[in-house]
Amino acid sequence: MALVSLTDVTKTYPDPSNRKKQIAAIDGVSLDIQAGEIYGIIGYSGAGKSTLVRLINALESATSGSILVDGAEVTTMREGQLRKLRLGVGMIFQQFNLFNSKSVRANIAYPLKVAGVPRAERIRRVNELLAFVGLTEKARSFPDQLSGGQKQRVGIARALATSPRILLADEATSALDPETTHEVLGLLKKVNQELGITIIVITHEMDVIQQIATRVAVMENGRVIEDGEVYSVFSNPQHAATRRFVSTVVRGIPAGDELAVLRQRHPGRIFTVSILDGDTGQSRVFEILTRAGLSFELIYGGINDIQGRTFGHLTIAVTGADAAIESAFAEISALTEIVEAR
Amino acid sequence: MDDVIKYLPNLLTATWETLYIVSFALLIGGFFGLILGLVLYVTRPGNILENRVIFAILNIIVNIFRPIPFLIFLVALQPLTRIVIGTGNGNTAMVFTMSMAAMFGISRIVEQNLLTVSPGVIEAARSVGASRLRVIFTVILSEALGPLILGYTFVLVAIVDMSALAGTIAGGGLGTFALEYGYRAFNDPVTIAALVAVIILVQIIQFLGNWLARKVLRR
Repeated sequence: MALVSLTDVTKTYPDPSNRKKQIAAIDGVSLDIQAGEIYGIIGYSGAGKSTLVRLINALESATSGSILVDGAEVTTMREGQLRKLRLGVGMIFQQFNLFNSKSVRANIAYPLKVAGVPRAERIRRVNELLAFVGLTEKARSFPDQLSGGQKQRVGIARALATSPRILLADEATSALDPETTHEVLGLLKKVNQELGITIIVITHEMDVIQQIATRVAVMENGRVIEDGEVYSVFSNPQHAATRRFVSTVVRGIPAGDELAVLRQRHPGRIFTVSILDGDTGQSRVFEILTRAGLSFELIYGGINDIQGRTFGHLTIAVTGADAAIESAFAEISALTEIVEAR
Repeated sequence: MDDVIKYLPNLLTATWETLYIVSFALLIGGFFGLILGLVLYVTRPGNILENRVIFAILNIIVNIFRPIPFLIFLVALQPLTRIVIGTGNGNTAMVFTMSMAAMFGISRIVEQNLLTVSPGVIEAARSVGASRLRVIFTVILSEALGPLILGYTFVLVAIVDMSALAGTIAGGGLGTFALEYGYRAFNDPVTIAALVAVIILVQIIQFLGNWLARKVLRR
């Protein structure tokens, strides 16, 4: 059974400009998140992903639908039960949200105090967490003395204090530079692999999904428009929004202005070949073209890696006899997807 | 100058009276002002114990009483002061009136300082399972402590101001001293002595407040 399971969840707010109207922030979302995975939810701002993640620990209440966390229905829980639920669901934030008036140690100890953990045990656990996130030396520092990456590591330690089974990461790297992002994502991976904690990552950055997620849901206007394994969703995107996200990490099929520029610079017909993991023999494609006596050059595209699997698109400009091009095209079509740019 | 020396015991008594009125008004008004400001903050729409009715009622009450000029407030409150304290005259009666006035002023300062606490920090505390009351007392108040101390320092200086006026109506203190022995006796050195005493008092308050706030804010 899924660790987190959402069925037909909606969340509506009264419209601030017209109180009688309701705005749907979440519009009928169903998702299953398995124990042990890193599940990515990607979407542009306003897509509803931050609201969605807050439904899981009930910081926001759902308007309708069912939310099961570890088999328990969240939507009907009372305040006291919700507090118990939250001890098992850690959360980290874009702006870190550390307690500025408390030291690093006191920040990490706070959830333990809330949970009623005795002092000696609290000290032991905080030391353990400080070592885990590599901040033992900073125990007595205050948040305003730390860098962004260090702050997020404190945030992670605080979220893990009560040994939750689930960690919610709400744009956890969006306020960090690329290098620090990489470092924090590495730490999240470690949390997942070494502690077996299920992580739900909210982001608008494809990079984040590519680096750590195993499965992904793409959100737009409060709905999940696509979901599945990261590789299959991003190697074969069905929606425009998904394609735009994919294009931020790998160049796809040229269109519009880009295509016009390519046409100006390169004679011949332009084709785009999809390169998918394993079965697409790139060398076969080039062999066919050569054998047909065609001359060609690579003019656009890119190949990337998602969880060790290759995918991408290569665009080639081919010159030669039309008949030869047609037969080579047919032969390549049998191997992989090839489209001619129009 | 001789007069200053002659009235020195009176000056010291007056300073002592001012300290008495001011510190009790701060303690009592500060305490109830903190509670009133806290309730205003937590019941404000969108906040942690949102309650539109309570917020609206308290908001109106504070809006009505806070801007009343202190002199009018003081004389208008006389009947109530007589009921509560037993007399409308004297320093203790003034402590009551000033506590009431300070409470309304302080409630707004408390509310405004609490509003600077980032909602994200409150959300973070909620996300680890802290109850609403626990969040108020262990996160919101402690996050706002530095600015609160500065706010109270500001109020304390305003209370010194009030105390001088209150004293001239129905009590003692430096205001009465300056008026009786200085102004009415056309004795400028004595007025200036009262002025110096009050400047020293206010400077000490300012210094202590700033020092404490810096310590809390670690800056």
